Amino acid sequence: MLLFVEQLVNGCALGSLYALFAVGFGLVFATLGILNAAHGTYASWAAIAALAAVQHLGAPFPLAVAAGVVAGGLLALLVDQIAFQPLRGRGGPAKEGGMLGALITSIAFWIMLDSLAGFATGQQSLNFPADSYPARMLHLGALPLPSMQLVTIAAMLLATAGIHALVRHSRFGAAMRAVGWNGAAAALGGVNPRVVIVVTAFLAGATSGLAGVLGGISTQNVSFTLGEGLMLKGFAAVVVGGYDDVRGAAIAGVALGILEVMSAQYLSTSLRDGITYALLLGFLLLRPRGLFGRAAFLRA
Amino acid sequence: MLADLWAAYQSSVGFAMVNVFFALSTYAVLSAGVLSFASVSYAAFGGFIGAQLVLNTGISPLLALPVSAVAGALLAYAVALLFLRLDGHWMALASLALVLMTRVVVLNAPTLTGGVNGLSLPVDLSLATLTVLLLLLMLVFHRLSGSWYGIAVRAVREDPAVAASLGMPARRLQTIAFVISGAVGGAGGMLLAAMLQFISPDTYFINIAFTMIAAVVLGGSYHWAGAVAGAFVFTALPVVMQAVLPQIQDVANGAALLAIMVFLPRGLIDPRAWRLRHAR
Repeated sequence: MLLFVEQLVNGCALGSLYALFAVGFGLVFATLGILNAAHGTYASWAAIAALAAVQHLGAPFPLAVAAGVVAGGLLALLVDQIAFQPLRGRGGPAKEGGMLGALITSIAFWIMLDSLAGFATGQQSLNFPADSYPARMLHLGALPLPSMQLVTIAAMLLATAGIHALVRHSRFGAAMRAVGWNGAAAALGGVNPRVVIVVTAFLAGATSGLAGVLGGISTQNVSFTLGEGLMLKGFAAVVVGGYDDVRGAAIAGVALGILEVMSAQYLSTSLRDGITYALLLGFLLLRPRGLFGRAAFLRA
Repeated sequence: MLADLWAAYQSSVGFAMVNVFFALSTYAVLSAGVLSFASVSYAAFGGFIGAQLVLNTGISPLLALPVSAVAGALLAYAVALLFLRLDGHWMALASLALVLMTRVVVLNAPTLTGGVNGLSLPVDLSLATLTVLLLLLMLVFHRLSGSWYGIAVRAVREDPAVAASLGMPARRLQTIAFVISGAVGGAGGMLLAAMLQFISPDTYFINIAFTMIAAVVLGGSYHWAGAVAGAFVFTALPVVMQAVLPQIQDVANGAALLAIMVFLPRGLIDPRAWRLRHAR
């Protein structure tokens, strides 16, 4: 029983990383209509930036996380302005909505940023020094709780709640949803799409960066493979949870993490990915709009 | 000099031709207005079935090719039945998920696929054969683009509602597009297996999915010739970059891709630009 609870906490912590990643990915997909293949590299670069802050500036843990988050956000902003901005408003019929072009430019940035991350870490996987993050073990009765896992879960809950509140319950969130629905119509309604786009890109990069820094610490791996691993699972979480609702993506991410840890513990390691993707397929067929999705009505 | 150059880059030309198959497979559905990465799955299915057929019966890979194509087409038909009810964005996500699942299935079905170790396929595929096959395929796409199907499918892509009101069955046309995509993709998977002489779960994965979609969009997604040109350019790009800028070849690659997309958003081959020029 103790083992079960322990693994449950492990799964929640791992799933929180997927959830954070999925929230950012879904935000870009829903608001900007971009399938961003470069989203994983933000996480890698944020981890690298946080590590640099620790090693060269001796930054304490909260500042290092902040450095990573800001780095992820700024990188996302840069990529958006270079790769996606020139494509907006031209090319393709409305249905594909320039998504194709943006997909290709995001692949271009994915290739470049991955390769540059390889140079930055000297083609190897680096570690955060052991004294640079909270490594203490807390005890709840007989249950050991690594404080890093608690930090990860708390960060995920805070970020998800914050973004959900922003998207659903603020004027700016309404503007974001309006731009996601139809940029031109939103502009007619007095929304400045440029501002919405810039803020959304930054937010998405920042959440991905948060996942990257926390993931880099807890998996002891700071390299370009960090973002790639997050990308595949985070993507699965987006499909299961639905991209138009932050809560869905977060819950799906945590569930995937738990499922992954549990199936490795009680079933077999080789089946781990199989179960994840079987679930993915099941959701696509039975509930194709995600956990919180609703049927959309669209008049031609 | 020229002979040396040919010897050095012969295999790249072969891979470019195989990539044309993949690009045309993606183009087939894209021309019906559906962005799908599932061509990778058709390729894996066709590739492994064809490889097993060659290994077990010893027939020539050319005879296995139609079987691969049929296998790919059947899988594509199933995918179309399941996925076409999703709308555009979801369809793209779902097909990408299908690619991820394909790798897991391949890993866990070792009797058909050799599992982690993969399959080695000691066959020889000459460049001349490949060229003939490619020309045949291009002829098929050329004939298709002028046919009733080609015109109807273009209408569905531009505006499904208008196409439907003109009596074009959008869903059925898209299903046909999927089947064509599956057949071409399955055959491409088999040809890739014969080119590489070795296939493993990683042969048919994300990188190939992005290769095909990038080739199509780069070349121009409004004409089948765009897919052909794009596949050649996209295969040549890394080879050229490696020769010119070996240190930063990946970065140069990405930058070139970015520049082409930003300055030629409709791709290298764009029928609309031709028509506009003629209209002047």
